[in-house]
Amino acid sequence: MVRKGEDRLFQTVTMLILALVGLVSVVPLLYVFSVSLTPFAEVLRHGGYVLIPKEITFHAYKKLFESSGIPRALGVTVYITVVGTMINLLLTTLVAYPLSRKKLPGRNIFLMMVVLTILFSGGIIPTYLIVKATGLIDSLWALILPGAVNSFNVLIIKSFFEQLPEELFESARIDGAREFRILFTLVIPLSVPAMITVGLFYAVGHWNSFFSAIMYMTDRSLYPLQVVVREILMLSQQQVENVEEQVPTVTMQMAAVIFASLPILVVYPFLQKHFTKGMLLGSIKG
Amino acid sequence: MNRSKWVPLSLTAALVTGSLLAGCSSGSGSTSGGDAAAKPGESASASPSAAPSAPVKIQMAMAASGLPSPENDDIKKTIDKKLNTDLQLTAIASGEDYKNQIRVRISGGNFPDLFSVELADVKEFSDKGLLLDLTPYIDKDLKTAKDFVLSEQKEIIKKATINNKLYAIPRIGDVPFSTMWIRQDWLDKLNLKMPTTLDEMMAVAKAFTEQDPDGNGKKDTYGLTGAKIGAFASVFGGFGAGGPGTFYEKDGKVMNGYYDPAMPDALKFIKSMIDAGVVDPEIMTNKANIEVQKAFQGKAGMIFRGWTDMAKDEFVAQYKAINPNANWVQISPPLKGPGGAYDGAYDYDRPSRYWVIPKALEKDKAKLQKVFDLINYVSSAEGNRLVMYGLEGKHYNLKDGKVIPTDLMAKEGNYFNLYQITGRPNKEYLEIKFPNQAAATDVAIKAPRIKAFDSSVLPPTGYNKADADRFAEEELIKFVTGKRPLSEYPDFLKTFETTFQYKTFVEAGEKQIRDQGFVK
Repeated sequence: MVRKGEDRLFQTVTMLILALVGLVSVVPLLYVFSVSLTPFAEVLRHGGYVLIPKEITFHAYKKLFESSGIPRALGVTVYITVVGTMINLLLTTLVAYPLSRKKLPGRNIFLMMVVLTILFSGGIIPTYLIVKATGLIDSLWALILPGAVNSFNVLIIKSFFEQLPEELFESARIDGAREFRILFTLVIPLSVPAMITVGLFYAVGHWNSFFSAIMYMTDRSLYPLQVVVREILMLSQQQVENVEEQVPTVTMQMAAVIFASLPILVVYPFLQKHFTKGMLLGSIKG
Repeated sequence: MNRSKWVPLSLTAALVTGSLLAGCSSGSGSTSGGDAAAKPGESASASPSAAPSAPVKIQMAMAASGLPSPENDDIKKTIDKKLNTDLQLTAIASGEDYKNQIRVRISGGNFPDLFSVELADVKEFSDKGLLLDLTPYIDKDLKTAKDFVLSEQKEIIKKATINNKLYAIPRIGDVPFSTMWIRQDWLDKLNLKMPTTLDEMMAVAKAFTEQDPDGNGKKDTYGLTGAKIGAFASVFGGFGAGGPGTFYEKDGKVMNGYYDPAMPDALKFIKSMIDAGVVDPEIMTNKANIEVQKAFQGKAGMIFRGWTDMAKDEFVAQYKAINPNANWVQISPPLKGPGGAYDGAYDYDRPSRYWVIPKALEKDKAKLQKVFDLINYVSSAEGNRLVMYGLEGKHYNLKDGKVIPTDLMAKEGNYFNLYQITGRPNKEYLEIKFPNQAAATDVAIKAPRIKAFDSSVLPPTGYNKADADRFAEEELIKFVTGKRPLSEYPDFLKTFETTFQYKTFVEAGEKQIRDQGFVK
């Protein structure tokens, strides 16, 4: 009996701590969300802090859409996220599959080459030179192609492929399947968790694409969402330098933040269940 | 058997891993020339290419925000039509991001044709031979621009000259915006007179703190808020000091703020304010404009700030929404102290931007001419009016030769200033753009200030300005908050001179200011 009581105590304490941690993570998000929906005057009256809005207005979102380049930037971001992730997955798989086959001649050399890029990277300027030399400056491909294959993700996919039973490949070969057929009709359908995990890594990367856009884009109409959102946030945090500058209100800033993070926030829970399966690198999976 | 099957696949792998490695092996070979003329995937500009001579593409870059997309950009379209150009302006919001982009673009040989940088970068880039020396052009090809900037500021060309060579086209300097602001309704409520001296200001600050000016029964207000030492600009001014680190003239000599004998006295006064508890206790940690929000929320009754943050219609609406009785007014003339009455120091001759042209453009005479045309055009009467007020009939109407703004100007006109490459006549411009703020603008412009020369000073090589500034700021905060006794001020200066080599900076500054002829 004593044991049971202790157990319960332990459970309660754990729950309390976890609830606290949960609360600490949720409250800032809730704050951002609430402020974005509260009328600006109301926010000001409460000294900038509103947790539960009493009145709800979509004014901030409306203004955001009217005045800034957000709709266009959203289009750009969606485009690079969708196209980019597809290219990422295709190329990553095409690298990972041969590397996962133990019979590949020179496998260790190729593996070395992949691992090397994790340890050393060229840095900004050489990468810029390549992007420039290939004529990708001011083209959305500059946000997609330079990072098309991430070596780390190659290794994740590779180790996932490796743990597929060898017998599967043999039987497929006996049935006359060639490598591409094995890859596309056998290996990939069996590796959905890994694909989703890595795909999400790539997608989030594209969604948050900021630095490369700043570097490679001189044409404003090609800016992705995060660049535009940051512009909105930056403006309000500095003293007015140009008299003409219009400082976006705090509600608009919060609306911009919600807008930039919501899609990923919505997708995450649905893909989460695949995560643990897809993420395990090399160890035995249950 | 098996082996042959593997060949194509291993080839694919090799190709893709190869492209991964490309980041490592650096592609420096293929990019010797500076021309990025032939670029595929550039079909975005859908212009009728039947015209006899194709528009010249000019790339401009700067740190700024608020630019609309090209098809909504009336200024760009008008300039393009007028000069037969395809003007592409890249504006990046954060100064840091912009600096990064410019440096990478320069390293990559992909220069913009006209871009704005800080004075220190003008020096660095010109020392490296990256910038076009404009000295031979300024009197001929750029005469319109030169006459225009000189008509507003006689000394401005000097300010962009380094080692007797002109590497940058200066943009006409800004006018001062800042003054001390005070809650008139709080003064009225407590039956206080508008303060005219620092001592009266101290008394008012005490009353604001202790006598519950907002009438909520709680002692939750302070006399003064602001951010860091700059909040006390009026105090430094009242003691006749230009403020920390500023260069100005005193008794016919170049003076640096830290060495001004009045400096310790000013710090003592600030300390007495902080000791009395009449200053927002978070004053040293306030940032990201939080201090203005605090002022609007009625947490403090005074703030030293620009009318651009206090008096613009949207801000007045903000604080009136919190408290309809709130009434922020400027303290004018500035508070009097033992050393005079100044709203801090102001560098009147500082160019508001420095525009540079890459040396590489020298080879492309036609394009260079277009860049000059552009600069001259926005400096001419017609072009300047365009970049100030927009399109006639759309953004403004002319009535008896006077510009009457339309509603669209307020809505769309906030980015026009990015195209004011050489600036604008500020007084006329501000009056038209901000008619409701004309009085506040005028007070700020006319307020007496100590004339600073900071924009003449380039830090000598080896002097780490960022570190020195940080050290000095921290020590000053210690002095005014009582963590370090003011009697140690000379010790502070000694450390400052030895560890941070501040003396070399001051000497270099003095020399540059004298060389430019601002102080004999």
